[in-house]
Formats: sequence, structure tokens, C-alpha cells
Amino acid sequence: MSDHDRKTDDPPKPAGYYNVPQSDEVGTAQERAYFPALIKGFGVTAAQFFRNFFLGRDTNVDVLARKGGNQIQTISYPEEKPVYPPGYRSMHRLVPREDGKPRCVACYLCATICPAQCIYIEAGEYPDDPIEKFPLRFEIDELRCVVCGLCVEACPKDAIRMDTGTHCKPVYDRKDIVYGIDRLLKGTAVSHESDVWFKRESSDPPPDTHAHPIPVLPIVK
Amino acid sequence: MIRPLKTFAVMGGIVALLFGFFSLVYYGGDFLGTLTQEHAWLGGTHLVGQAIVNVLLLQLIFVMILATLLTLAERKWSAAMQNRIGPNRAKILGFTLGGLFHVVADAVKMLVKEDSIPAAASKFLYVLAPALNFAPIFCLFAIVPMGPPVLMGHGFAVTPQIANPDVGLLYLFGIASLAVYGVSIAGWASGNKLALLGSVRAAAQMISYEVALGLGLVGMMMAAGTLRLDQMVELQSHPLFGQSWLPAWGIFLQPVGFLLFFVAAFAETKRAPFDLPEGESEIIGYFLEYSGMKFGTFMIGEFVEVVTLAGVLTAIFFGGYHLPFGWDQQLRDGIATLVRARFTHNPVVIEPSTALTLAIVGATVFSLKVIVLCWVQLVCRWTFPRFRYDQIQWLGWRLLLPIGLVNVFVTGVCLLVDTSLDTLAVVGLIELLGCLGLVLWTVQPKVRATTQTPSAPKNLSAAAPAVAAEH
Repeated sequence: MSDHDRKTDDPPKPAGYYNVPQSDEVGTAQERAYFPALIKGFGVTAAQFFRNFFLGRDTNVDVLARKGGNQIQTISYPEEKPVYPPGYRSMHRLVPREDGKPRCVACYLCATICPAQCIYIEAGEYPDDPIEKFPLRFEIDELRCVVCGLCVEACPKDAIRMDTGTHCKPVYDRKDIVYGIDRLLKGTAVSHESDVWFKRESSDPPPDTHAHPIPVLPIVK
Repeated sequence: MIRPLKTFAVMGGIVALLFGFFSLVYYGGDFLGTLTQEHAWLGGTHLVGQAIVNVLLLQLIFVMILATLLTLAERKWSAAMQNRIGPNRAKILGFTLGGLFHVVADAVKMLVKEDSIPAAASKFLYVLAPALNFAPIFCLFAIVPMGPPVLMGHGFAVTPQIANPDVGLLYLFGIASLAVYGVSIAGWASGNKLALLGSVRAAAQMISYEVALGLGLVGMMMAAGTLRLDQMVELQSHPLFGQSWLPAWGIFLQPVGFLLFFVAAFAETKRAPFDLPEGESEIIGYFLEYSGMKFGTFMIGEFVEVVTLAGVLTAIFFGGYHLPFGWDQQLRDGIATLVRARFTHNPVVIEPSTALTLAIVGATVFSLKVIVLCWVQLVCRWTFPRFRYDQIQWLGWRLLLPIGLVNVFVTGVCLLVDTSLDTLAVVGLIELLGCLGLVLWTVQPKVRATTQTPSAPKNLSAAAPAVAAEH
């Protein structure tokens, strides 16, 4: 805006110096008049104000699909919840069987792979059940969880999933954020054809398990 | 479609509230004035009673509540300007009332915060400085006439104006310049070098801009031939050029003076784009060491300054409590018709009732103008980028001061040529048209020739669909 700080005979800049144009050609006469730019800027801000202040806000959670002149793009979270993409890793849940017990067989694979070591399992044993083991305690410290999803990948029984679409709620006490079976076991029950309890009557090994020995291939010399 | 209706309903409610409030001001002034006059309390003149009512209602309620609401408005309105929602989480019984409870939350927060005094501070001055800063700002509104004087049947005119000294605007300049002491002392007494730096900046800036502040109003003083604000407002009720629809508002008589005064007073409020004394990103400012309600007085003082500036601008440049375009006269006729129908049995009260109703409407109009000008200041604050420090001084001394001197000279010549303000109005309108032309001239700026190859963006846009098609 001023003439006094414009240097016309600057020394040459060293090589590699980012050369901001500082000559008299900066800006047109219109731009250097300064006052009109103020008025125009005022107009832009005022127009934005009226648009957003007087027009109703579309609360569509899909921001790009919002209609109307109001340009506020905020998703006001607890009232408007964005839809997560499929495959989004949200809070864990222990998947129940049809009979309401967890599918988990307490194999410790998830606890072993967990990089944050936030899963704690104590195994119990069924006396006469085809599954043999079940979790007495299954606890996830959601504060330590890094939401990497490796436990879901590691689970051989599809017993832990991250498909609840919710988040870990904030708590006042650190104890409250360690989720046990009572809070983790929820959601729809899942069954697979390969589930053991569909195949066998008891925990005894099926009689034909080792009936057919592995054929020994002739070694070609 | 619900939102605009709700907004307009709320605005109508605010107007109704203001109307009721100013009815209270007039009737309260009449009531307490009569009491003090008849019972010879406190010196036995109606002025005392009126002053008490005016200080209570205008100063402590109108100005303070408007300033308090501006703290919220600054956040909500700036949010609207920046495509945000703004604060809306403070709830009582599930209602947010547009974030209104954040004002309460802020006040409670300020009041219950620890009020610490730094070990290096000069204790007495440290405690004194917020008061020294706030008191002069708070006193400024005293001379603003919110409505016309009305004879309400007890032998004296009720005026919603706290003080009406003959020195008028000189009181404004005098008291406004006292605020610099509070700022300087606050910075010095904090025992903090950055705070001191902020206060030195503030002092330099305020003293620089006082010159332009005064010069901006000299033209209007010359045109009105008086320093008193009520007389200035009265002058602006007359139409220009005999009987044209254009009112003799200060903005038409003295557009350059308005700009000068607005810019200078904006610099006095120390808000962006003149917020160098605060400089949040580098030195925090002269109130750096203040906490709790001591900081709160600095902050609310800023908003009181905004309200006061809006009030003074309204009174001097925007016709005060008068409506433009001859609507004043139409309104008076309409009210007179209504009142005559209502009081046919008692013709004595027809004239006072008409005057009173018109006065209350005028006061409401005044406060609406104040609110609009507060909004203008907030838009300015959230639009314009901050000046560099040398640019601030350059603007004050090398741009505003010469323009102000030229403006005084031109105004003087116009008034010498023609005392009926017509010449001055013509010059003022030419200046306004010049500004408009300047803005229109830049609506479509010429595209500057560039040495870059213009083909690069085209290739990019041509490649984009191909990439999309591959996926």
C-alpha cells in the first residue's frame, strides 16, 4: 500500500533465493488503490454472513450432497453422525454364538499378535464340550488399543470383530475403559458351516481322523 | 424454510423488546424525575432522577448487555462468516437458545478463575489498571442521545441522554484519550517485558490516531455549528436541497470525515486490523499477565468501546433517532391518527402521546442503527488483514492526517460559499460517487499477462477424465 517500503534498487539476490517479485509491477493500479479492495472484501464476508446466518442449514451427513445456499460444512457430531465406509475399524465386539456364548475359544492368538498388548485373556475349560476352551475373562484396554485390527485378522474362529460402528466412550475413571466380556459380547450371532459344534457330537476325536494315513509318494531319483 | 422464519421472528422479538425497554426509559425518567422534583430529594431537581434512571437503564443495561451479547455475537457471527457453526454446546434443560448460555458460562468462568498477581508486578498499579482502562471507555456513552426530549406532562422534558454538556464532542476526545493511561499502566505494572511492549505499542497507536479522530469530526462540527450531539442529531432531521428525499445525514455531508473517524476510532478500540497492541501471535499484549475478571474487564471494555463507537457514529453520521427519506413525518402522521382515535375524549394528551410514541420509536431506531454498526465493525474485524506496525503509523500520520486537513479545508470553503449545507452536500455526494466509481472500476480487474505457459492446466484437466476412466 505504501511507497516508502518499496525498494527499487535491491542488491541482486543470491542463487536459490526465492524471488518474490517486489518491483513496481506488483498489482494493478486497481489493486494498489487499496480502498476498493477493502469494500469488496467487506462484501464477500458480508455475503457469506447473510448466506450462513439466514438460510437454513442442511444437516445431511454427506457433506458433498448438502443443498441450499448455506455453506456451513460442519457435521455437528453427536446429533449428526457421519456414515463410515465399509471396513471401517470401530469398537471391538466379541461375536456371540447362536446360544449366546462367545465364539472365542481362548486360543490367545489375538493377545499374542496385539502390538499394544491390550488384550488379556483367562481361559477356562469345558468338562464335556466339543470346544474344550472358553474365555473366563476377556478384557480389552481400549485406552491402549491402537485400533490396528490385527486381532481380527489373527482370530481363527471369527470371534472378534470391529464392526460395531461406534467409538469408545470417554470415561472419568481409567478402570471403566477396560471392557470385559459383559460389555464386549454383543451384536448379531454368527455361525459358520465349519463350526465345530455343527460337526461333532462330543469332544472325542472323530473316529476317522487318522483312518487314512498320508500317502507316501515314491521318491524319484 | 423454517430457519429464516425463526431468524426473522427473533429479530422482530428483539425490536419489540427494545421498544418496551425505551418505553421503560421514558416512563422511568418521568417517574423518578417527578419524585425527585416534588420531594426535593438530592437537590430537588428532576435532572437527578432522570440521571439515575438513564445511568441505570442506558449505561448499565443497554450498553453493558449489548457489549456482553457482542462477546457471543463475535463468536457466532464470525462463525457464520467463516462457514462454521460457532459455540452451541452450553445447554440449560436441553435448550441452547442459539448459544446464549455461553455468555453466562463465560461470565462464571471469568469470575471463578484464579486471580493471580505476578510476583514481579507493581501490586497497586496492577490492580488499578483494569479500572483505569474500563472507566473512561464506560463514561463515553454518557453523551450519546438515545432519543429526543419529550414533555411528558410534568413540566420538564424527559431525555434518554445521561449528560448533555456544551463541550459535547470535546468530552468524547478528552475522556477517550484517558484510556491510554489504563493500557500503559497495565503493561508496565505487569512486570513483563512483552506486556510492556504491548502497552508501548498501544500508547503509540492511540496517540497517533487521536489526531485523525479529532480531524475527522471537525468537518461535522463546522457543518453543524455546534459540539453538542443532540443538536447534531436535530440537524440531520432536515432534508437536503430544500425538500428532497435525501436526509442531511453526516454520511452524506462528510463521507471523508466519516471514513477518517471510523478508521481512527477503530484503531482506538485496538481491535483487528489494528490489534498490534495485542498481537496474539507474538506478544499477547498489555493484558498478558491478567487473569480472571481483571482480564474480563479488558475484554468487555473492548466491546463497550465497540458499542460506544457505534452510538457516536449513529448520532453524528447516521441521523441519530431519525428515520430517513421523510418516513419520520409519515410515521408522525400515522401515530397522530392512531392517538387521536384513542384519546378523543381527552384531547389534552393527544400531542404528548404522539410525541412520546414517536420518541420511543426513534430510540428503538437508534438502537437498531447501533446494532447494525456493531455488526459492521465485527465484519471489518473479521475481514481485513492486520497491518504491520510501520504501516499503522504510516496510515495514521501520512494518509489520514493530510486527508483530514484537506477535508477541513474543503468543508470550510463549502460553508463559506453556502451556509445552507447544500454545497457541502454536493461535494459529499461527489465524494461518495467517487468511492463508488473506484469500487466499480475494480469489479473486473484486468487479467495480468503472465509469462508462464498456459497449457499446463489444460493438460491436467484433460488427463483427469482419462485417469478416472481407467479406474
